[in-house]
Amino acid sequence: MSEHLAWFEDARGTACVALPFELEEVLADWSALRSRMARELPDAFQRDEWAYLLSFLERGNLLGAFVQGFGAPTDERTGVRLLARPRGPVAIWLPNNVSLLGPLALVLLSLTGNELLLKGGSQSQDLTGAFLAFATQHLAPGALKRHLTERVRYEVFDRADARNAEYARRAVLRIVFGSDQAAEAIEALPHPLDSSSCAFVDRRSEAWVSAAALDEALLETLLKVFAIYGQAGCTSPRRVVLLDGNEAEARDLRDRLVSLWGRVVKGEPAQHVASSSILGGQWARALGWDVRLAPRNAAVLAAGALDLAPFEAPMGLPVVAASVERAAETLPENIQTIGHAVGDPTAPRWLELMARLRAKRFVPLARMHHFGPVWDGIDFWRRSFEEVELSP
Amino acid sequence: MTDLLDRPPFAARDDERFLAEMNALTRSHLEGCAPYARMWPGAREAASVAELPFVHVGLFKHLALRTERAGLEHQRTLESSSTSGGGASRIALDALSSELQARSSRAILADFVGEGRRPLLVLDSVRSLRGRGGVSARVAAALSLQPFAEGMHFLLEDSADPASMRWSAVTELAAEHDRLLVYGFTWILWLAWGAARPPEIDAALAGKTIHFVHSGGWKKLEDASVDRTRFDAALLAGLDPASRVVDFYGLVEQVGIVYPLCEAGHRHVPAWAEVLVRDPHTLEVLENAAGMLQLMNLCAYGAPYHNVLTEDLGRTVPGACPCGRTARRFDLLGRIPKAEVRGCANV
Repeated sequence: MSEHLAWFEDARGTACVALPFELEEVLADWSALRSRMARELPDAFQRDEWAYLLSFLERGNLLGAFVQGFGAPTDERTGVRLLARPRGPVAIWLPNNVSLLGPLALVLLSLTGNELLLKGGSQSQDLTGAFLAFATQHLAPGALKRHLTERVRYEVFDRADARNAEYARRAVLRIVFGSDQAAEAIEALPHPLDSSSCAFVDRRSEAWVSAAALDEALLETLLKVFAIYGQAGCTSPRRVVLLDGNEAEARDLRDRLVSLWGRVVKGEPAQHVASSSILGGQWARALGWDVRLAPRNAAVLAAGALDLAPFEAPMGLPVVAASVERAAETLPENIQTIGHAVGDPTAPRWLELMARLRAKRFVPLARMHHFGPVWDGIDFWRRSFEEVELSP
Repeated sequence: MTDLLDRPPFAARDDERFLAEMNALTRSHLEGCAPYARMWPGAREAASVAELPFVHVGLFKHLALRTERAGLEHQRTLESSSTSGGGASRIALDALSSELQARSSRAILADFVGEGRRPLLVLDSVRSLRGRGGVSARVAAALSLQPFAEGMHFLLEDSADPASMRWSAVTELAAEHDRLLVYGFTWILWLAWGAARPPEIDAALAGKTIHFVHSGGWKKLEDASVDRTRFDAALLAGLDPASRVVDFYGLVEQVGIVYPLCEAGHRHVPAWAEVLVRDPHTLEVLENAAGMLQLMNLCAYGAPYHNVLTEDLGRTVPGACPCGRTARRFDLLGRIPKAEVRGCANV
């Protein structure tokens, strides 16, 4: 089945990956789909989401999963230390609330050659089904189209459906995007003893910035990263921490964000977003936050002390000042990504700090939403291969 | 305490007086409710009702707002039905406001269901009355009809199950009375009475005069393709021509103020209340254009729910109403559409 070999090399030696298709052909097929994507936006997607997906399909990005997992492509055929091959069916439970993580996971996992079982969200339209339909409709006949058609099963059903048990019984890797309860329920289903699971559950992220590092371009990046999903994204900044600043400087930062909003975030906010911003603004003020609303009531930008009670608004962004230590102490338990704009993020202090924290990612602001073969600290993509150790 | 309540609800307004009383009530809330004061720093005497500081209705789901002042006696908490998500609104009631609210709803409803007492049939379970410390929106709405009631009769065994109707109670009351008053949430009234009435009940009610009063919105019935014409016709079939169906709009955050649909299809603003329409993106006050409804009244002392910005869409309607009521009027257009929240798995 996995008769096509792809070769990679790192400092430890050569790795050979056996796949059911020619990897270069599949990478080329994904790249070819990009030109079609550039001309057509399916209804299910927002423009930002589609643009991100299009850039995600760039050949170098997809090949990066192999580079990260096995090393750089090589012509070397000797000194092979490792043979990897698809481990078996991978089942993916997708979230109900329309996440781009679904299509991204589909694309990445399609490269592994594994049979994929995808369960779409039963209470909402999900982007994975829409993207899979688009891809199979527009791909030219070839390896990728054949793989998506013959080896990818996509279905929508609810949590009580018997197919949940079937997926769990068949899959050697279970990937769950959902609530803690959903992940627990799936984990409780009978599954092969030698199978494993990756649960991507409730996570939060935030942005840490220092005044010296923040120029206008970075502020615009911060707004763009926030505005895509507001508080709903697990990789969206739920708060901005101005490191080693004071409350007045946090207010100034908030004011700069408000003044840039109209230039960076285009389009009229929906009425319910505007309404929730009015509500969120009043809620925040009632709790003592210093509040300004973005133009057209598009968002609530609030500055205040670190210990103020939190308010909720789908497009609410608190800006607080704190020392690095206080910022670390007040991180949420389920912290995932810290987006940084801190001058030199390679300085040893950051490595030492991250070693102590629960955060899974410490990345530039612009990369906060970037999805990859390691997610939430889990090497899920690499886990979809099994390894054959080769010794001379 | 306002004496505008002594006036007929839908007669000529005294806008100057209303504004003065709203300013005084607002001052009382600013002094007695610190979160409200923080929401509106620098609030001062308003020169028009549009300048009066309001509270977004959703805030009552998140904060326990309460106004403290000398002589104010807080009582129960009124809870919304929480049908729109995000939890229930909690409104702190007090003795003074409750008295005003009872007078208000009585005056407004009398204009639509007429004076005189008759048995009040409530499409709810009697168990709904027994909550400790709180009262549901459904029960509060039913209680607002008490001034017209000669006894209250709860018809559902299970408040959540329209099929649990005690039709025997209806038959008994119909045998003894020619006039009845019936209250229920719109969808329950339809499922329990409009769509599922046994033939023998039709016979028992034939020729009787019934005022059906309902509230709670049409969302569930729209989903079932039941419109107002079909709804009213099903309820009124076989009854005396003087029978009526009264659809009123009200919020727990505006308890005591109800807005029944008039014969011409509009809703009128009583003399002790006011309605504005605002653009959600600018909060500009709109005239004869759709926007968020802002509701005000002079009957709310226990918390600043005297002036709330709702998530309901409406439009003020200029000119005289064919129904003959001279009070200002508006149309209710539904709720702000909610788009799906897009994000990750954690919402």
